[in-house]
Amino acid sequence: MTKKKSPMLRIILIFFVIEIILVFLSGNFSKQLEIGFEHGKFRIRHVETEYNLQEKITEEFQIDEYYKQHGETPEIYGSEKIYNTFKNIFGVEGAVGTFQLLRMLLIVDIVLLLTALFIRKNLARRPAKSQIIFELIYTSLEEFVSETLGEDKAYYTPYIVTLFLFIWVCNMVGMIPIPGFMEPTRNLNVPLSLGFMVVVVVHFSAIKFKGAWNHLQNYINPVKNPLFLLDIVGEVSKVVSISFRLFGNILGGAIIILVVSSLVSFVVFPIGLTLFFGIFVGTIQAFVFTMLALTYISVEITE
Amino acid sequence: MNLTLAQGIVKASALLGAGLCMGMGALGPGVGEGFVAGKACEGIARSPENASLITRTMLVGQAVSESTGIYSLVIALLLIFST
Repeated sequence: MTKKKSPMLRIILIFFVIEIILVFLSGNFSKQLEIGFEHGKFRIRHVETEYNLQEKITEEFQIDEYYKQHGETPEIYGSEKIYNTFKNIFGVEGAVGTFQLLRMLLIVDIVLLLTALFIRKNLARRPAKSQIIFELIYTSLEEFVSETLGEDKAYYTPYIVTLFLFIWVCNMVGMIPIPGFMEPTRNLNVPLSLGFMVVVVVHFSAIKFKGAWNHLQNYINPVKNPLFLLDIVGEVSKVVSISFRLFGNILGGAIIILVVSSLVSFVVFPIGLTLFFGIFVGTIQAFVFTMLALTYISVEITE
Repeated sequence: MNLTLAQGIVKASALLGAGLCMGMGALGPGVGEGFVAGKACEGIARSPENASLITRTMLVGQAVSESTGIYSLVIALLLIFST
């Protein structure tokens, strides 16, 4: 009797093969054993490498601090020209973090733009695979929007979809294993500005639907709203909570991946961690950010 | 890294505080998320046709109740790296 191989077993096998290949390619293995000629004899040597976790974490997460200690060179920026231009614009020491952040944001924007152009060019009545995926994303988010805000306010969908796709691509782009690549959402400036813009959109739509004076009375009139001081604090805490949640999740995931993979660096290449903290947490947090933005809008504009 | 005694005490207490902050801050979100997941299980068992809606709401609710844990993570990172 021939038993069919279960798909789960096959997936685990593929996983192990990829893992073994990556361990040999990842550089840790080849760095530890150096093969070469010495005094005319072929020999395999064990090379001691100094590996400082604290320094590695500083390099990865506080890049300005790292280059302040070690001195920065034009090579980090790619070329002398970019370095000089960047120094002329910002004019401060230790702007490597800003440079990396801007570069990653540019990459994310280019990815989004190219995808949009590609999908637009290949629009067809009988949709291809990529078109189906993006139509699925758009229609499901449109469904959420029209469920929460009502059918007549479905024109908030482009904003919500843009927010979702941007944060999602931001969270995914850090998984590309190239030195210098990082999630832009790992820098607090990106989530903070996104959260601030969400609150701006919330108040703009509240003024649009309720009128400026009616909306302002919630924050200055003690008769109509006895807890108006708490509401003012609540507006600030909205920005803080929505942005720190995204920032903390992505940063915490990145630190856990770095620490665990440096602890086990000579044995395994932790793909599973990247799968969980990169794909799962990244998708969930992008979704949660958009859902919270939608909820804030709906609280203000629906009666 | 050569530290004076005072700097050493500050560094040590910051690290201790980071550990305590993370450990205590993780208590609340743990209890809260488990409670939400349990209630979602009950809801799905009662009405399996609403499973997708319940799961979606559960994930958003969990992420919201997780935020206190995330704040303690941020404060722990500040304590570790900025002292």
